[in-house]
Amino acid sequence: MALHDAAIVAYGETRIVPVSDRDVWQLGADILEQLLDRSGFEKGEIDGLILSSSMTGAGNPFWSQTTADYLALELDFCQTVDIGGSSPVGAVARAAAAIDAGLATTVLCPYADTAVAESNARGRAYNQEWTGPIGYLGPPAAFGFITRYYEEHYGLDYRALGKLAVAQREHAILNDLACEKLRKPITVDDYIASRMINDPVRLLDSVMPCDGASGLLITGRRAAEKRGLDKCVIPVGYGERTNLNAARPIVDPTETGHAAAGAKCFAQAGMAPSDIASFHPYDDFIIAIMMQLEMLGFCQHGQGSAFIRETGFRFDEDLPLNTGGGQISAGQAGLAGGGTNLIEAVRQLFGEGGARQVKDRRNALVTGIGGIPYGRNWNTSAAMILTPDA
Amino acid sequence: MTQFNDLADVERPLPVERSFSKPFWEATREKRLLIQYDRVAQAYQFYPRPTSIYTGKASNLEWREVSGRGQVFSYTIARRARPPFREHEPFWLALVTLDEGVNVMANVVGCTQEQMAIGLRVKPHWQPLSDGRNLLLFEPENA
Repeated sequence: MALHDAAIVAYGETRIVPVSDRDVWQLGADILEQLLDRSGFEKGEIDGLILSSSMTGAGNPFWSQTTADYLALELDFCQTVDIGGSSPVGAVARAAAAIDAGLATTVLCPYADTAVAESNARGRAYNQEWTGPIGYLGPPAAFGFITRYYEEHYGLDYRALGKLAVAQREHAILNDLACEKLRKPITVDDYIASRMINDPVRLLDSVMPCDGASGLLITGRRAAEKRGLDKCVIPVGYGERTNLNAARPIVDPTETGHAAAGAKCFAQAGMAPSDIASFHPYDDFIIAIMMQLEMLGFCQHGQGSAFIRETGFRFDEDLPLNTGGGQISAGQAGLAGGGTNLIEAVRQLFGEGGARQVKDRRNALVTGIGGIPYGRNWNTSAAMILTPDA
Repeated sequence: MTQFNDLADVERPLPVERSFSKPFWEATREKRLLIQYDRVAQAYQFYPRPTSIYTGKASNLEWREVSGRGQVFSYTIARRARPPFREHEPFWLALVTLDEGVNVMANVVGCTQEQMAIGLRVKPHWQPLSDGRNLLLFEPENA
């Protein structure tokens, strides 16, 4: 697959809010208009739709078609990506593959969810049989297990985790689209003192469920150049791994699919972790950021705390981290939340980061995490490297 | 000192049984623990699945009765929960590695904060459900 033959020509995003008074399709329409305005494309030129799944749309098995109908899109390719928080970055890879295969020429990737206002999700999974009857809360409990296991086997400096929380919060304060309620400074002491949800997972480790939308418009790189679009972002590497070690009955939950997904992504891009200019990892819990730093090869497995202590993560420091605040400090827009850090990376590479613009915009690494399986860590790990059109 | 709730008086949601997990649930009526075993791979698996995680062949699977003894793999304290567990926090959630080499997620009852640790030996504690089945929980082996 010639991933780098695709070009992201525009990004769009809404404000993230605690609960949306606008319908999920209205958010989608908002994203569509932003993308058309920023790219100069006409609606009729869009012939592909690849959207992320959503809690709001979850009750509708015809979600991509219905969304296409509401937005009045005539399409040659239409699908929903349902790999949880990996869906938005996964949609970019699938859009590039569809364009490369000639299935579509210009693909709209909207990521919209109003999970707080209207969730229609009814998970038909192991939960109803194995975890519902024991009072398991899902992700916070899963990360409670992971964090305790990590601490026991590798040692864990909670103040290092707090440093990541503080850096992301500083970025959210610089992001007008971040959930307003979260745009207040915090300190490492605040992080340590925040109340326990699922020991040792604290409130300030966790995302706040919110509503919001984002999206991208993707076309062929040559087509973009022909139109004279001077700002484009190119996906140059991608890896995805679902159900790492599926055939093992017990796994180390601190090892994730990002090792395999990252290796593939870096090889395709011809880069190494030391080449990465800014890092935009999926963040549902703070420790997931550290686990990804390890699995992607920024440091060794088990050495995350030390690496964090030695590295600056503000937008103007060594390895800018989730410069829009990440989901933890900008709010998690349901299953569309994976779009938040992806769109921030694209914005940075467009040079439109404003008060939080990174200096080095040669590339950005974005990741996805999706799904919480029984007694492991997460179902899908994804990694993508983006560069500005050179 | 934190008092942990054993949830004995919580009306738990009934587990949704699948066609392929029925033998597990039927055995719980007699407080017996059956788990799936792949004869070819010579290994156990949990939770019950429609096929072998090792070979992809359901025909390789059989049910074997095990003791349910094992040790804590990891644990967390649930400080917040949804109904009907709300107002019954805090309680223990643990991943327990059975001696046969599979992990089971469950509540641990009759366990103090001082006792709880990764590696703690545990044994089954069957919690009756309203339909005659029993739910597999654990308690410290030396309780």
